[in-house]
Amino acid sequence: MSAPNAVCIYIFIICLIVPLLVYALVKQLWNAPLQNGPGYFYGIEVPAGFYEGSGKSWMAGYHAMVVALYGLLGAGLGAIIATRRWEMTPVCLGGFALVFVPTVFGFYAWTRHKLGVDPPVQAVALALTSRRMSDYISWPAEALAVALVALSWWLLLLHPARHFDWETPLQLTWVAVGMIPGKMAMVKLSWPLPAERAEEHYRLHELSRRFWMRVSGIIFEWYMVVVLLGVALLNATSSPAHHPAPVWRWLVLASQFAVWGYGMIVMFRGMQEMKVLGGELRPAGSWKTPFGRASCFGTGREFRIWFAIWFGGVMAFIVYSICKHGFK
Amino acid sequence: MFLTLQDNDRRPIYQQITDGIKNLIARGELREGMTLPSVRQVAGDLGVNLNTVAVAYRQLQDEGFVTVRHGAGAVISSRSPHPVEQAELYKPLRTALTQLVLSGLSGREIVETVREQLAQLQQKGGTR
Repeated sequence: MSAPNAVCIYIFIICLIVPLLVYALVKQLWNAPLQNGPGYFYGIEVPAGFYEGSGKSWMAGYHAMVVALYGLLGAGLGAIIATRRWEMTPVCLGGFALVFVPTVFGFYAWTRHKLGVDPPVQAVALALTSRRMSDYISWPAEALAVALVALSWWLLLLHPARHFDWETPLQLTWVAVGMIPGKMAMVKLSWPLPAERAEEHYRLHELSRRFWMRVSGIIFEWYMVVVLLGVALLNATSSPAHHPAPVWRWLVLASQFAVWGYGMIVMFRGMQEMKVLGGELRPAGSWKTPFGRASCFGTGREFRIWFAIWFGGVMAFIVYSICKHGFK
Repeated sequence: MFLTLQDNDRRPIYQQITDGIKNLIARGELREGMTLPSVRQVAGDLGVNLNTVAVAYRQLQDEGFVTVRHGAGAVISSRSPHPVEQAELYKPLRTALTQLVLSGLSGREIVETVREQLAQLQQKGGTR
């Protein structure tokens, strides 16, 4: 058995990512503004007949943005295939995420600013149930993740390779370990509950909180931990004269794809569940409490601070990678 | 278990929280030993200032409805709050009755209303 070839892995990643992104586009993204029904645009209540009038241009604008973003990714991947610079695949995908997230959030913020200026005021319900960290976070699992990261670093430092790229383990550690305070901040995140159908809204918020914690835990924490451990193990077992057995390389690769695949399944299933549960409910952010502003992402100072630091760090790593590898 | 805060209620927010919790205690939905969510959680969920919720909890504590235990949060106390003078206890009742009389209701109607409200409170079997 021969060891997996780097070029084949990058081609495999492209073949895996492209159908997934197309699936996400068709199932989730293309009609995302209509996910709460024709009475809403991106979760903002709109008057009847909106989609016969100004709604058409809003939808056209949204579709143009999505097409532009996917076109950008397509151009990037096309350039990789044409020039055969397969090693640029992670940079291209990271760059896509870097542009995609702020653009979509920016469009959303712009929509709220233009259409959702004065949402209706509604009575608010308060759930008298305490949210404890231990109800949402498994501390032994977090301790295991930290222990595996520490083991990986120990292996990396014990067997430092001459031309080892330290940027990758640093980036993986930042993303993985950074998710732990992120999960804690997610527990504290609050959404006001409308008094009308409060029980159902509460169930939806709880499902949503657990869903995001689980998905980000698998994709951003455990996947990164497995990749880091794989990098460390392969690095520790290789030397200029000796390469690890191909079976080890295949095993590492298979475990990484298994975690990632599991994360994808959990994500698409959870999104479907939330769609079913929240289908007929008034979306968060389409109304405001008698005391405060409408909020669709929930309120939580800790979460905002954590996200700014964590996502800022991820962006910094991606920009650094693009500058380092992209302009060579 | 939910506490509802109306958008047209003129009472201060802390008073609405205090009264809402007392109402749930009276109905027997909040029982002795149950823990209330933290001040921070309530403030976040309602989108109000921390101090507003802290004032409500302090009032409940002062009146003997909750006990604040370090690390455990606010815990519902037994349903016999601090002893209150009978005259003090009847004061809000007198205010409410005055309002009802001034609104033109007859004595019979007032008694009927009070009975109805009391029955609603007792519905959950909370009142001894």
